Amino acid sequence: MLGIFVLAPILVGVIAYIIRDQWAKPLLFIFQIGYAAYAFSQFLVVKESGPLVWNTGGYTDGIALSLYADSISIFMVLMTAVIYIAFLIYSVNAEYFVSKFFFLFMVLQGLMMGLYLSSDLFNIFVFLEVSTVVVAILIMINKEKQAIYDGMIYFFVNVIGSSFLLFGAGMIYRTFGLLDIRAVSEAMTLLEGPKAMILPYGLMMVTVSLKTAVTPLFSWLPKAHGTPSAPPVVSAVLSGLYIKSGVYLFIRFNEMYAPVIDMHQFFFWVGFFTSVIGFIMALGQHDIKLILAYHTVSQVGLIMVGLNMASDYAFWGAVYHIFNHAIFKSTLFLTAGMIYHEYGTRDVYEIRGLIKRMPWVALATTFAMLGITGAPFFNGSISKYMIAHGTHDYGTTILLNIINIGTTMSFVKYATMLFGENTKGARVKSDIYAIGAALFLGVTSLMTGIFGEALSEFLFGFELHVNASEYTQKGIVYLLMIVAGIGFYNGIIKHGGLIQRIGHIELTFNGIITAMAGYFIALVLCLNIIL
Amino acid sequence: MDFLTGEIVGILLFFIGLFGLMTKKTIVKTIMSMSIMESGIFLFYITINYTEGSVPPIGQTSEAAFADPVPSALMITAIVIGIGVTAIGLTMFMHYKQKHGITHWSRNRNQQGSGH
Repeated sequence: MLGIFVLAPILVGVIAYIIRDQWAKPLLFIFQIGYAAYAFSQFLVVKESGPLVWNTGGYTDGIALSLYADSISIFMVLMTAVIYIAFLIYSVNAEYFVSKFFFLFMVLQGLMMGLYLSSDLFNIFVFLEVSTVVVAILIMINKEKQAIYDGMIYFFVNVIGSSFLLFGAGMIYRTFGLLDIRAVSEAMTLLEGPKAMILPYGLMMVTVSLKTAVTPLFSWLPKAHGTPSAPPVVSAVLSGLYIKSGVYLFIRFNEMYAPVIDMHQFFFWVGFFTSVIGFIMALGQHDIKLILAYHTVSQVGLIMVGLNMASDYAFWGAVYHIFNHAIFKSTLFLTAGMIYHEYGTRDVYEIRGLIKRMPWVALATTFAMLGITGAPFFNGSISKYMIAHGTHDYGTTILLNIINIGTTMSFVKYATMLFGENTKGARVKSDIYAIGAALFLGVTSLMTGIFGEALSEFLFGFELHVNASEYTQKGIVYLLMIVAGIGFYNGIIKHGGLIQRIGHIELTFNGIITAMAGYFIALVLCLNIIL
Repeated sequence: MDFLTGEIVGILLFFIGLFGLMTKKTIVKTIMSMSIMESGIFLFYITINYTEGSVPPIGQTSEAAFADPVPSALMITAIVIGIGVTAIGLTMFMHYKQKHGITHWSRNRNQQGSGH
C-alpha cells in the first residue's frame, strides 16, 4: 500500500488544521514517528523482496497509474520521513508554527513522497505543479515585500518549467502510447530511430535541470531558499529535501532514456560548472542565508558530477551525497535561523563570537561544516571519497579537488562567525527543542561518517571498502585545503572587490526564461551531434 | 491546408507563449503568455494520434474507430491545474500591486521593481 505514503501526511495535515493547536502538535509528532517507522518497515520489505508496485484501480501494470518503490526511491522516502521528525521538533515552539503553516508543511511532505514514488509521467507533472504552489506559499508566508517578490519568481519560473515536462510527456505518449516510466523504458529498446527522442528528452531535461538548479538555470534558487523572512525550517526543507526531488527525477528519467540516449558527458560538465559558479557566487555574499543557498547550488553540482561519471562507485557516492547533503545543509539552515534570530542581523561580517554566546548552536554548526567540507570521519568525506574513487583519470581528480577547495574557502568565511569578540553580552538561552533538533542532525553528520561503510551496505546494498591509506591521504589533502582556504580567504576574499561584484550578478525574470530557452536549444543541438 | 494540424498549431502556440515570457516585462503579460503556452500543450495533447472520423468511446457503435480517450482525460486534469495556477498567480500579482504598486519585473533584487 504505497498510496499511504502520499495520502497520509496530507490527511493528517488537514486534521491538524481543523483541530485545536494543543491537540494538533502531539498528533503531528505521533503521526510523524509512526510514519517514519512505517517507511522503515517498507524499506526492509524492499530490501528483502525487491521492488514494490501499487497499481490503482486493478488495471494491469504499465497501463494503470502506479506507485513504484525500488531501493533508491524507498531510501528517499525513508530519508524524508526521518528528517521531517527533526524539522517538526525544531519548529514546535516557534511563533510561525501555526495551523496554516503545518498544514502546508505536511502537504509538502506528501507531495515529495509522491514525486519519489510515482512511476507515471503525468502524475509526476501533477505533483511538481502542486508542490510548486505549496512551496511558493510557504516562502511568502510572512507576506513581506521581498518574500512575495521572491515567491512570485519562484512560482512562475517553476510553473513554466514543469509545463516543459508536460509537453515532453505528450511527445512520449504520441510515440509509445504509454506514460508509465518503466513501460516506456522497455518500449524504448524497440525504437528504430533514436532521433525521435531528441525533443522529448530535451523538453523533459529542461524541467529536471530547472528543478535541480544547474548552471544557467539556478537564479531562482537563491531567491527562493534565501528569502530573508521565510522561516528557517522552510529554507531547510527546500534546500535539504525538496531540491533532491529534482536530482531524483534526473536519475529516473536518465534510466528511462538509457536504451537510446547517453548524455553523461554533457551533464558531467554542466555539473562541474554549476559547482564552480555556485561557490564563486557564495564567496561574494554577505547574507548567511544566501551563502548557504548558493552553496546548495554548488553541492548539487557535485552530485550531478558524481551521477554522470559513468562509474558505479561514483553513482552510489552521489546518492550517498544526496543523503549527507540533506543532513548537513538542514543543520546549517536550522542553526543559521537561530543565529540571525539572536543577533538580529544576517551579515556574516557582523556576527562574531558564536562559541561564547551560543555554544551548542556553534557545536552543531561546526559538525555540519566539517561534514560539508569533507573532514575525516564525517559523512561528507565518505561520499566525496566514493565520488573521487569513481575515476582514475588525473584531470577529473583535479576538477574534483577544485570543487573541494571552493567549498572549503567559502566555509572558512562562514566559520569566522564562530570566533572573535562577543560584542553583545553573555550566553543566551535558545529554545531547547530547536537546539536539540539541530544538535541531533549535527551528530548524525558525524555518525553517518563513522559508520559510512555499514550504512552504505545497509541503505543501498552497495559494498563500500574504504582503503585506509588512501583515506589517510585524503585526510592530509583536506588539512592542506583548510590551510589553503584560510590563505585564500585572508589574501583575496576578505578584501572583496571583484568577487563581490560577481556575487551580485543575477538574472531578471525574463533572463531566467531566456536562459531556459537557450539551455533547451543547447541540449537539442548537443543531442543532434551525439545521435 | 493539410500541414496546419492541431499538433503543429499546438507547438507554435507553445513557442509563441515562450517568446512572450522571454520578452515581456509586465507581470500580467507573463501570466497571459503562460496561459497561451499551456493552451498550446492542451491542443497538442488532444490532437495526437487522432484519425479522421473516429468516434468517442461511448455506447456500442462499432462501425468507426474509437478515439483515444486518455489524452482528453489527462487534459481535463491539466486544464483544472492550469486554472488553479493562473488564479494563484493573479492573486499574488494583485496583492503585490495593491500593496506596493509594482507591475513590472525589476532589474535586480535590491531595486525591486520600477513603479510604473
